[in-house]
Amino acid sequence: MHNKNSPRTTRGFLVSDSSIKHLFCSVLCFVVCNFSAQPALSQDEFSFDLSEIEKKPYHLGGYAEFRPILFGLDRDASLYKLRFYARDEGRVLDEYDFTLQLEGSYEKGVSRFFVRTNSDLEKTYKGWSGETILYEAYLSVKPSFSLTIDAGKKTLKWGKGYAWNPVAFVDRPKNPDDPALNLEGFIVASADYTRSLGGPLKTFSFTPVLVPVYGEMNDDFGDDHKLNFAGKLYFLYYDTDIDLMFLTGDSKPPRYGFDFSRNILTNFEIHGEFAYIKDYKKSVIDQDGRTFETESDVQSYLMGLRYLSALDTTYVLEYYHNGAGFTEGQMKDYFSYINNGYDLYLSTENDTLLKKASNLSEGKYSKMNPMKDYLYLRISQKEPFDILYFTPSMTWIFNVNDQSFSLSPELLYARITNLELRLKGTFIVGERFSEYGEKQNNYKVELRVRYYF
Amino acid sequence: MLKIVAIFMSLLFAAPAFATAPNQLLEQVDRNLSPDSYETYRKLINIEPDGRKKEFILFTVKKGRDKVAALFISPASEKGRSTLRLEENMWLYIPNVGKPIRITSLQSVVGGVFNNSDILRLDYAAEYNVVQMEDMGNEYVLHLKAKTKTVAYDKLKMWVDKNKILPRKIDCLTEASMLIKTIYFKKTEDFGGGIVRPSVVETESPLYKGYKSIMIFAKIKERELKDEVFTLTYMPNMESLR
Repeated sequence: MHNKNSPRTTRGFLVSDSSIKHLFCSVLCFVVCNFSAQPALSQDEFSFDLSEIEKKPYHLGGYAEFRPILFGLDRDASLYKLRFYARDEGRVLDEYDFTLQLEGSYEKGVSRFFVRTNSDLEKTYKGWSGETILYEAYLSVKPSFSLTIDAGKKTLKWGKGYAWNPVAFVDRPKNPDDPALNLEGFIVASADYTRSLGGPLKTFSFTPVLVPVYGEMNDDFGDDHKLNFAGKLYFLYYDTDIDLMFLTGDSKPPRYGFDFSRNILTNFEIHGEFAYIKDYKKSVIDQDGRTFETESDVQSYLMGLRYLSALDTTYVLEYYHNGAGFTEGQMKDYFSYINNGYDLYLSTENDTLLKKASNLSEGKYSKMNPMKDYLYLRISQKEPFDILYFTPSMTWIFNVNDQSFSLSPELLYARITNLELRLKGTFIVGERFSEYGEKQNNYKVELRVRYYF
Repeated sequence: MLKIVAIFMSLLFAAPAFATAPNQLLEQVDRNLSPDSYETYRKLINIEPDGRKKEFILFTVKKGRDKVAALFISPASEKGRSTLRLEENMWLYIPNVGKPIRITSLQSVVGGVFNNSDILRLDYAAEYNVVQMEDMGNEYVLHLKAKTKTVAYDKLKMWVDKNKILPRKIDCLTEASMLIKTIYFKKTEDFGGGIVRPSVVETESPLYKGYKSIMIFAKIKERELKDEVFTLTYMPNMESLR
């Protein structure tokens, strides 16, 4: 029951479960010792020890996280049938996830090396499993205030959208259910050249990026043995952030885009993105299992706003059109095919169709929000009832095409320095053959305990 | 009669001089609080009614009237975050999110009584005009009005020490003169380089009864900075300025 926050890849370092368990035990001991050894709060509220601001050439840090999750299964859903057709796990499943994210850097002169790894250890209905993935590892050289040159594995995070980024041409897609999570990068060589100017154009910057795809290097970016070139131009023009970006090369179809962001008022921000992809290829399956490929130019876009009310309530609202997404009919065909395969399995124990559907679900059908049109609304209330560092929020992701949705209430509490507690529920609502209606869960409840060090 | 006309005329011609003087005084307050371009370290402490505290340490750079940036050094959960303000534009860079996002002046990146405009404060004279000045003997009371609607507080009432030309207390008010918060300036210290200013800024708010936020300054020093430091692309690299 993998339900990861970040997209999974096959490039993790495969480490034995026992060694990962030992690693997690060591970190847990460190965290407990460190947490209990925190000094008592100073009696002098005005003390500021200069040793606290001493700079070291190196930095080590990260976080350790424990996440127990409870899943309420929807035994009539297509994706439940696809995963559990050969086993009965009851109506409720529990899962225990441990994450250790480590990061370190070393700085000398104008150079800095940065590395971030992510280790997961999970106890699911299948047993224990774990892996470690190198998220980022790059050398950054800064010969002047205007120029930075980076080489290595890194994330670029293009786009202004909160939940989705159609213009993030050189990034893995983020999870709209938890968009602030770190992601794994690609191996790139990039530069940032920035100029500050007078007049209405206040800042200009250019970011060229090379993305090589050779053998195992960036093997999930696109077609092999190609060198891809991407670029981004940024302008701060009349208090508006504007980016123009492109990606060319033969690993993926060429694409072009722009985004913008602007504060209309001190408490009201608007943003948008537009992406145009030429000759986009999409594999579609019909309800009889026949696959066929379509090719067309597609446009994806996003419009959004962030508004802070006088009561300190923050609203984030976004509309996302995914031009490369599946139509309602195409998704219905896919779910029908799974159900046909399940019926065949029940009558003959032949799971050939289900296995084919399972392979398809590893591709574009299993993407976050694979359909055409979505709405995203997040409402969060800062410190209600004078409870400092307490932020309740509610996230609603609505599939406009089939009217299915997920609703996630959340309580975040961070009163203790470096310790963050989050209790989150997700309720999934939708008719049969709708995106959310066919997910394997009816609901999910999770507690996330995260300690930063 | 001539005497009355002479007095009236002198008042008439004196009026513009009186109007500029308070604004010059406000500019002097700004310069006494910090050089035009500088770097500093600040510790922010949020104190709850039961005495519990949460601390943040920031490295801050400022250039001219309208550019200021800050980098979180601690705690670990916030380390690497940076904030940038160019006039009324504000951005927050969170390493996990990996890109700057626009924020508003009324939000708070640290929670508690300080909001973003308090943490990324520009010169008072850049955002306010003096509309009235009262002479109270040992101090002046300046009544300030925001130059634009985008400023976080519409009005300020500032008590200024006559000898040091430094603020002692500021009331932050809405357009309808409702008190939002009071800022107290305490413990004047010599930071070197001719910078003598309060080292502690304390804030209370009737909207957060019993809560208090404190800002402690250390190592304020003049520094020439390139404009490119105050750009979105530089936000992930702010640590290299320390």
